[in-house]
Amino acid sequence: MYYFSIFFQYAAQYLKTRMSYREDLVVELISDLLFQAVNLIFILVVFGHTTLLNGWNREEIIFIYGFFLVPYAIFSSFFNIWDFNERYIVKGEMDRILTRPIHSLFQIIIERMELESMFGVVTGLVIMFYAGSQLGLTLHWYDPFVFLLMVIGGAFIYAGIFICLAAISFWSDSKTDIMPMMYNIGNYGRYPVDIYNQVIRFVLTWILPFAFVGVYPAAFFLGRTEWYGYAFLTPVMGVVFLTIAYFMWNAGVKKYRGAGN
Amino acid sequence: MNVIEVEGLRKEFKSYSSRSGLKGAFRDLFTRNYKTLRAVDDISLHVKQGEMVGYIGENGAGKSTTIKMLTGILTPTAGNVTVNGMNPHKEREKFVRTIGVVFGQRSQLWWDIAVQESFRLLKKVYKVSDEEYETHMKEVIRTLEIEPLLDKPVRKLSLGQRMRCELAAALIHNPPLLFLDEPTIGLDVLVKMKIRGFLKEINRKYKTTILLTTHDLADIEALCDRVVLLDEGKIIYDGRLDELQKNWVEGKQVHFEFQHPVDKPALEEISREYPVIWRQGERVNQWVATIDGEDDTVSKLMSVVMLHHAISDVKLNKVSTEEIIRNIYEEGIKHG
Amino acid sequence: MGNFSMYVEMIRIRFLMMLAYRTNYYSGILIYSINIGAYYFLWQAIYGTQESIQGMSVSQMTTYVAIAWMARAFYFNNIDREISQEIQDGKVAVEMIRPYHYLGVKTMQGLGEGLFRLLFFSVPGMIIIWLAFPIDFSNQWSVWALFFLSIIFSFIVNTQLNLITGILTFFLMYNTGLIRAKRVVIDLFSGLLLPISFYPLWAQDVMGYLPFQAISYIPSMIFTGGFVGSEIYSAIGIQIFWSVLLIIPIQALWMLAKRQLIVQGG
Repeated sequence: MYYFSIFFQYAAQYLKTRMSYREDLVVELISDLLFQAVNLIFILVVFGHTTLLNGWNREEIIFIYGFFLVPYAIFSSFFNIWDFNERYIVKGEMDRILTRPIHSLFQIIIERMELESMFGVVTGLVIMFYAGSQLGLTLHWYDPFVFLLMVIGGAFIYAGIFICLAAISFWSDSKTDIMPMMYNIGNYGRYPVDIYNQVIRFVLTWILPFAFVGVYPAAFFLGRTEWYGYAFLTPVMGVVFLTIAYFMWNAGVKKYRGAGN
Repeated sequence: MNVIEVEGLRKEFKSYSSRSGLKGAFRDLFTRNYKTLRAVDDISLHVKQGEMVGYIGENGAGKSTTIKMLTGILTPTAGNVTVNGMNPHKEREKFVRTIGVVFGQRSQLWWDIAVQESFRLLKKVYKVSDEEYETHMKEVIRTLEIEPLLDKPVRKLSLGQRMRCELAAALIHNPPLLFLDEPTIGLDVLVKMKIRGFLKEINRKYKTTILLTTHDLADIEALCDRVVLLDEGKIIYDGRLDELQKNWVEGKQVHFEFQHPVDKPALEEISREYPVIWRQGERVNQWVATIDGEDDTVSKLMSVVMLHHAISDVKLNKVSTEEIIRNIYEEGIKHG
Repeated sequence: MGNFSMYVEMIRIRFLMMLAYRTNYYSGILIYSINIGAYYFLWQAIYGTQESIQGMSVSQMTTYVAIAWMARAFYFNNIDREISQEIQDGKVAVEMIRPYHYLGVKTMQGLGEGLFRLLFFSVPGMIIIWLAFPIDFSNQWSVWALFFLSIIFSFIVNTQLNLITGILTFFLMYNTGLIRAKRVVIDLFSGLLLPISFYPLWAQDVMGYLPFQAISYIPSMIFTGGFVGSEIYSAIGIQIFWSVLLIIPIQALWMLAKRQLIVQGG
């Protein structure tokens, strides 16, 4: 309850600050849209030269992309921690965080949230409905619930991976550019993973399980029964990865060295 | 009851040394030279409710590291820490509700929003009720004279204004224990005096325990009865400030400003009968004599010196705290 | 040119800094390899049974992707973000009174970073890629020479665009959005993800008027043999054209920024 009320306090404050820089908000939204468009353009251009990608057609690939945008939007609204090392460790802001009576990770989440990224949910749904209608998919009564479960699982996976990466900063004091680069890796989970070789498929499924934030769960809605097993693993993987990340974070805080040492 | 109880506290940092040059840097990619640095070395400390303790040491002596362990930011390598009856790191979230922290060089407030919005947010964070906030904070705001600043965003405040707001923010939940790390750094004399007055006030009124680190010994002199001196991670003095002054040097200091250049051997030669130590002053042709002895000796020394060298000015002082502390760091402790 | 040795020193310092970040180094190689690997398979799947698309064979395409990423290691830098951060922290005002040109220093730091990545990243990375995937390396030394000439201009154009985005922070409170948008646009329109010849013709026409192709498409096409003969020289001509032209907006923005700095006092 306490955490909820704190969350809303911060969110209200956030909106107030954000509204006072409206032009930046517009630029931000446009850049988000651009970001979403780029990958769509890639798919469209590629399918200008081929009709099938390992047995998947254009609309199916677009549908996967639309699905991906939803958990990704949730992730980027609340886990804007790619510059955690610079912002909190190098500049010593972590000291301040640790003198406040709220879990440190939660504080960073609410301090750094970017609620406008939620707009991606809309883009994602629009793309999914467009592709879905092109494919003639029908909506079952349970689909929204499964969708919610998959989306939460996917957002958890993304969060888990990036929290783990952020937590590395507690051990290694040097700056890293791993996180920005990791965003690229996330893209590969949006293509049917059977196009890759064993190693990359394994990495995308079990180590950096981005395939669960793209092709696996989307396969369920596309009726690709051969992937159902993986599809239903999505929420499980989400919980597992977030739990791992949570413990890794807590272990990291114990190793925190403070700034300026 | 002791508010702070520290036994055998130690903190080690592992760091690596870089090899020099491009070739060295390239080798560092594969193997590194690690070494362990002991920032805080077996410290024991007890602080009672209502005490105001000055924590002094040179840069890198381990002051900040100690404070960070006492506030739960860092985990100790070894030793026991109990503050307000809790282990700061283990029960961090519960613990920090009972303390207030001000880092002079780091802001607790939100940069873009008005000061009172920050206060309101912190009020929620610390679960302070409206009544408590009303009675307590109103007074804090009045004493610190920050009423007119409340609706300004933090980025528009001057350093002195910001610092007073920081102090108020640290006291929103009226904590029984306050940690201040360099609270007066970079502030002008008037603001410093205001802050000192305020700290005295809350100490008197709420019996707030205060642990303070500072570079400005005037802060310590104005506020603290007790000082703890730290050097290379070890406590070298822990006791009353006036005792330090009494024990360390009994005697006086005479500042001579000569009309012509004079050298140390010459001064030592004429004053060899007296228990005196000479050192060059900060100004040209200025020499400082520290004398251990009766008033009588002092006047004799002065007349001897004046007999041999023409002077333009002479000043007789008690040895300042700053001087004492400098001596301790330069020569090591002799009495205490 | 009295400042020349100072700038060289800055490149060297940046170089040393990069070497000091060990985790960065190892993870960087790994992530670049995964990127290239994933794209390799993706393109294999896209080609399917087709021999060639837009006149490019599968192996040319693979080489294109690999070399585009490796060249990116050289021209890519974060100086837009650094400038933006320094403006927000108010450090730029201090930099202004130092006896050098702030933008020049930033460029040199970017160059130091780029050289580091080229030597310690791209070269070992390229060897790994060459062992793992079938990639055509040209055995003509002139192709190599022209490729290296071309990526120098890639660096210049990309850095110029970064400077522009960085300086814009003076006029926008938060420009993280702009920085991100720029990065996305460059990834797409520079030919890093897709050779520009893959786009529909109208899009190719539009991109012909933009500076982005000078960053990735031109050097990669030179390396894969997509450009031959006089095509190469006119392509490098385009790069030179943009390198010169972009100086104008940079100088203009910088003058405005300095004026703004004086008015607002940082």
